[in-house]
Amino acid sequence: MTQTYQKAKPIWCAGCGHFGVQGAIQYAMAAADVSLHETLLLAGIGCSGTVQNNVGAYGYHAMHGRVLPTAIGASLANPDLTVIAAGGDGDGYAIGGGHLMHSLKRNPNLLYVVMNNGVYGLTKGQDSPTRAIPRAAPEEDPLDAMLLGLAIKSTTFLARGITTRSDQLNELMLKGLQHARSGRGMALVEVLSPCVTYNDTYPDWMHKVHDVDADPDYRNSDRGAAFMRVLELVQESVLPIGLIYHGSHPSLQDALLRDVPPAKALDPGRSEQTRQYYEGVLEAYGV
Amino acid sequence: MMPETAGATMLLDDDVLQSTERDDLTVMVAGQGGDGSLTIIALLSKALLKRGYQIYRNSNIASRIKGGHAAAFMRASVVARGHLGDHIDILIAFDLEAVQQASPRLAPDAVVIYDSSREALPDGLVPASALLIPVPFSRLAVRDLRRDLFKNSLGFGLLGRIMGLEDDEVEAGLQRHFKKLTERQRQPNVRALREGQAFAGQAGLRDGRSVLRLPVLEEPEKRIFISGNHATAFGFMVAGGRFFAGYPITPATDVMDWLSRHFPSVGGVLLQAEDELAAINMAIGAALTGVRAMTASSGPGIALMGESIGHSGSAEIPLVVVDCQRAGPSTGMPTKPEQSDINMLTRGGNGDYPHIVLAPGNPQECFYYGALATNLAQLAQCPVLIALDAVCHDSFTVPAFELDRVEVEPGKRLSAEDVSKLEAYGRYEITEDGISPWAVPGTEGAMNLVTGNERDEWGRVSTQPRNRVAMVDKRSRKLESVRDRLPRAREWGDSNSAVGIVATGILESVITESLERLAGHGLHFHCHRPRTLWPLLGETVDFVNSHERVYVIEQSEGAQLAALLKSEGADAGKIRNVLKYDGLQFFTGELVAILLEKEGVS
Repeated sequence: MTQTYQKAKPIWCAGCGHFGVQGAIQYAMAAADVSLHETLLLAGIGCSGTVQNNVGAYGYHAMHGRVLPTAIGASLANPDLTVIAAGGDGDGYAIGGGHLMHSLKRNPNLLYVVMNNGVYGLTKGQDSPTRAIPRAAPEEDPLDAMLLGLAIKSTTFLARGITTRSDQLNELMLKGLQHARSGRGMALVEVLSPCVTYNDTYPDWMHKVHDVDADPDYRNSDRGAAFMRVLELVQESVLPIGLIYHGSHPSLQDALLRDVPPAKALDPGRSEQTRQYYEGVLEAYGV
Repeated sequence: MMPETAGATMLLDDDVLQSTERDDLTVMVAGQGGDGSLTIIALLSKALLKRGYQIYRNSNIASRIKGGHAAAFMRASVVARGHLGDHIDILIAFDLEAVQQASPRLAPDAVVIYDSSREALPDGLVPASALLIPVPFSRLAVRDLRRDLFKNSLGFGLLGRIMGLEDDEVEAGLQRHFKKLTERQRQPNVRALREGQAFAGQAGLRDGRSVLRLPVLEEPEKRIFISGNHATAFGFMVAGGRFFAGYPITPATDVMDWLSRHFPSVGGVLLQAEDELAAINMAIGAALTGVRAMTASSGPGIALMGESIGHSGSAEIPLVVVDCQRAGPSTGMPTKPEQSDINMLTRGGNGDYPHIVLAPGNPQECFYYGALATNLAQLAQCPVLIALDAVCHDSFTVPAFELDRVEVEPGKRLSAEDVSKLEAYGRYEITEDGISPWAVPGTEGAMNLVTGNERDEWGRVSTQPRNRVAMVDKRSRKLESVRDRLPRAREWGDSNSAVGIVATGILESVITESLERLAGHGLHFHCHRPRTLWPLLGETVDFVNSHERVYVIEQSEGAQLAALLKSEGADAGKIRNVLKYDGLQFFTGELVAILLEKEGVS
């Protein structure tokens, strides 16, 4: 067998939540029976932006904040690939925040995993968009991506897990992966993944989460009800976890590739039909 | 001279109805946006194309959707030109502003057709020797056809008679132009055309009598009429380009619009992104999977894309980026041409990375370089940038493209079978030519890592000094490996002259015509137009250094081309800058005057 790259050992600190996130991704890939060579794992910049080195699939290290557009380009160009994008909350909600809402709006077939630790770890501890920032008064509120996702009417899969509840996290990741692979669109799985070095939120978050999966009154397929409930929780500084919302909406691939499947990468097509088409184009400019 | 009026209309003197033969004519049609100026120019250029003339067309529109002043220009000539004539020979002015704008450039013997519906023309705007024909276009169109809209067809009917075109030829042209309209929509236009002809007849333009005459020419070769943007997009598509993501920006949007029309027929995928950062990274994502991908923008958008261009150079991702340069800095003048992105394109970005910058000068080169860029990106696994100037939106007649000359060159790609025969496969293998064989995601048994960080042969991030140097050197060698594929400069003029001219892009045309006139003053120049700006080829530096003095003519205040030449070894003492940055293209008369003065010839 041809030797390819050896999986790297994670660079994360002992106790980092990201180990659990990586574990969940690998669990989902195995449970969904996705082969490594058919998987493109793209990651952003930051501590989270190294996960692709550790899994053994095709890995791509995107520019800071640009993992989603890159993943969309790849997923459109080769719809047979399983595309998983991953990154931190700084990468996804700050520098890449603009792309997040447009990606959610487009609903491309991909799984996006956000490792939310509320801090810029690699640059040693600056505030991220999901951290409550103490100001004189009132504090600057953290951004909640589930609430954002619920507000966009074409989102189809929104979930949040926490690394301390690995069984639930694994199942959410698997469902998200299956959602994307079955062509239903984009699955956003945010994971509360504490940074033990710069923002150790384990003690805080463990008591602040509310598991909507275990809440018999929560309706995860009713966008309006889900929004109201998540908003209430967020206003009480509680972090909802579980499957926040799932619904259906045509995916980006449904919209763009339904009539015309993309040309194959190795053979962009010099068929007689293509050639005739080029000649027709040229002819139209003739004088 | 003012024509005498006979009753409701005027009668032209015999001495203007001379059917004077012309081989070179510049026409301007202007008015408020929506007056139909562009339509008249389109109709006229098609008619003259049919007669075998070479056409160059550009427009000068305001950066707004409707209204604002719009002017369309066309030059028809026997010799192919890529710029307008110094003087406007025929002006159709739908309002006073149009005449005011054209006034300084009207030829002494210009024909000025002025819509007199609204206001009279003040004295002094039109040369006394010109032929002024006041026509109440708007009133006639409203009176007889109930819509102001039809005044362009009316104007075209009159224009045809003035230029000595046959009535049936003119009507056939109109029918062709409006073929997508329903018969009911087309009819009023035909009536308007005939009304224009009738009006002309009353003025004495009948029975073959006309002001000008453009004889039918023999068509020398199979020609097409196309803009640089369309040609570039076409070249990309023929070379296998199948993914495009872009964000609307003047004057590059055309590229996206063109591909959105044609991609569905060839399996191409196009996406309009939320911004330029997304656009180029979508293209990078597609390119990662082996699909040939491109984005296009203009200065401000290219500036936003800068980090990503460097990234694709570092990560070794094949990518084509088109820059339709416009007047900067910042938002600058979106609809005005310039050549002032050269610094950014050749030296932009952080760090050192391999990339190529091509600079086509006419739509024909746009097509072939669009295709070449697409192939070069694959061969060298790096970004290839195409620097367009006013050539992007201007249309020219050029010889028809030879589609068979374009090949789809795969570069060093590995299939699963190729990989299975290897002992080991690393994406960034160090090779003699700097180019690493490449298997795309989805290939069995070839999993690899791609990153913009410095990395080892496996794609694992590494800052190890020896590896760093080996990797930087490997990437740098790539350009050497494809150097013989990079377009050489075009040289013309007097090769014995000690005085040189260096310029890029669309400027070749105005320089060529200037040379014809300067020869009359005893001045001869040797001209050199680099068509690869990065890496700048040694021949360009040699050209400068082998002449006594060299005029570097460019559309930028910062003398960016001259700076590039100097930085690559051209003798600064030999370089004389000729700079233009008023938002207009060079005129021949202007350039001739500059060179005469600089050469000390009065």
